Amino acid sequence: MIELRGITKIYRMGSQALEALRAVSLNVGRGEFISIMGPSGSGKSTLMNIIGCLDTPTAGEYVLDGARVAGLTFDQLAAVRNRKIGFVFQNFNLLPYATTWENVELPLLFNGKNAKKRKSRVNELLNAVGLYDWRDHRPAELSGGQQQRVALARALANDPPILLADEPTGNLDSKSGEEIMAILTELWKAGRTIVMVTHNDHIAASSERVVRLFDGQVVP
Amino acid sequence: MNLTLPRFFWSEYRKRRKKVSLITFALFWGTLSILLLMAFGQGLTTQFRVAFSGLGETLIMVYGGQTSLEFEGLPKGRPISLYPEDVDYLRERIPEIMTIAPEAYSYLQVSANGKEVNRSVHGTTAEFGLLRTQIAQLGGRFLNADDDAEGRKVAFIGWKVATDLFGAADAVGKQVIINRIPFTVIGVLKKKIQDSMYQGPDADQIYLPFYAYRQIDNRRRINQIHIQPHNADESKLIEYRIRTLLGRKYRFDPDDRYATSFWNTIENNKEGMAVFKGIEIFLGIIGALTLLIGAVGVTNLMYALAKERTKEIGIKLAIGARRRVIVQQFLLETSLVFAKGTFWGFITAFNIVHLIRLAPINYDSFGIEAYLLRPVFSLRIFIAYLVIVGSLVFLSGIFPALRASRLNPIESLRYE
Repeated sequence: MIELRGITKIYRMGSQALEALRAVSLNVGRGEFISIMGPSGSGKSTLMNIIGCLDTPTAGEYVLDGARVAGLTFDQLAAVRNRKIGFVFQNFNLLPYATTWENVELPLLFNGKNAKKRKSRVNELLNAVGLYDWRDHRPAELSGGQQQRVALARALANDPPILLADEPTGNLDSKSGEEIMAILTELWKAGRTIVMVTHNDHIAASSERVVRLFDGQVVP
Repeated sequence: MNLTLPRFFWSEYRKRRKKVSLITFALFWGTLSILLLMAFGQGLTTQFRVAFSGLGETLIMVYGGQTSLEFEGLPKGRPISLYPEDVDYLRERIPEIMTIAPEAYSYLQVSANGKEVNRSVHGTTAEFGLLRTQIAQLGGRFLNADDDAEGRKVAFIGWKVATDLFGAADAVGKQVIINRIPFTVIGVLKKKIQDSMYQGPDADQIYLPFYAYRQIDNRRRINQIHIQPHNADESKLIEYRIRTLLGRKYRFDPDDRYATSFWNTIENNKEGMAVFKGIEIFLGIIGALTLLIGAVGVTNLMYALAKERTKEIGIKLAIGARRRVIVQQFLLETSLVFAKGTFWGFITAFNIVHLIRLAPINYDSFGIEAYLLRPVFSLRIFIAYLVIVGSLVFLSGIFPALRASRLNPIESLRYE
């Protein structure tokens, strides 16, 4: 599903070059659940951003679902993010002025779904994450756990085959964290490919495989 | 056309109304200020022009005088008077003259309705009405050629004379007695502002047909002759021709500046027009600077707004928004803010101008309010404003929009 071959990412800051990833190669099979772990600055988030088509590698090849990502235009990458990948961020990244309903509806709007399909899908997702009754509330009116569940519903809006979760429980209390992990596990069992970045060994234990990064390289 | 996204943008705009209210207010205030500034400027120059034309438009007045040079053996110091026949004499010999009228006047006792007043009484012809903008109030008229030809004893009176003698009652059809001769009032002068005069404002004058006037003032000479040229540029040529012709007739040196004198309002107005032009240019510069300051302010606000929305744009890009979606949203919001601000600015300015215009002008004292209380709302200026400010606001919206759409989603998401 995800094939990374010799991925290198160099950030340039003035005359200095910072190598965030060094020839990283990684395969994630369809329906696999992996955790990426490593200390701060090891390149976890950079790797996640490249997998999520939010960033492009300086060198190397990335094949997503059988198609090469290199050479795709800005809008083609946007379409990939919209249809093939769902994002769950540590700090939720919900639109503050939009309601729960509208936040979940947004990826469907960008995908050009009609009103009937949007309504049906948002209903289904909000019921699945137990937030239908909170549909008219704004993020500021929800708890951290509820916000992350809205973010999960939004990530699943276009039924993407891949779910990327960057420290999904990092800002949550343990109970909410467990609830989110339970949902992620359920989604994986239903056949979705999940890539999760975490610092937490206990959380990482929910995944099938752990990939460790150190100084921008995968370590055994 | 798929209206789903515009509807979504509209819904977002409604939620962000308070956030953009400062820009909306800036546009409202800018529109209001510029339209009012221009309306007062236009009103001021218009009223100046109206006041100028209160005496008459493109008017040359010719007076007699006293010779200051010896000529063909005749001594200097001879009085030169004008006579009624000089009117035809000049009309026949100067083709540049369009309209010409004689005027004689004297200060006389006038009585009517049991009241007595002393006023300037003038004898003239129908052409005087055109030359001196003598417009009658509704229900009346100025003197005509038949009044003179038939020796009618009729009078056209100023509105202050009418008020002094008849109060609020309609003066038309009533009689005034001048030198024991009754004259029927045929018209009352419509109120006007007048910044130039010789025997006092026209509001205080009484005008009689020339033939009838002769019966109360039997002097042969007249006080002055009024002339309007076909072409205002030929006023100096007309002056030259008059000096030459009258010099030949009354035997004085055409170069003798004291034998005849002229009040050439065309030449005087040229100076006035230069002042008006100066005022218009000054107001235009102020307007342009105000516009510039406003545009810079709006541009800054738009930029700040786009900057503030960086993270939101990052979220949208991360979940699949295409570039044009981001640009469309910014442009739609800019258009809505512009439309709302300018609409209310326009409506407020329009109403303020029309409310101010309802304020009465005291034509008797003719104070500063006569110039300030008649602002003119100009649609031409509003359209120019819309085009200029619209373009500036559009540009101030498109650049942040393009910038926003080109943001790296990662950097946008990290923006706090």
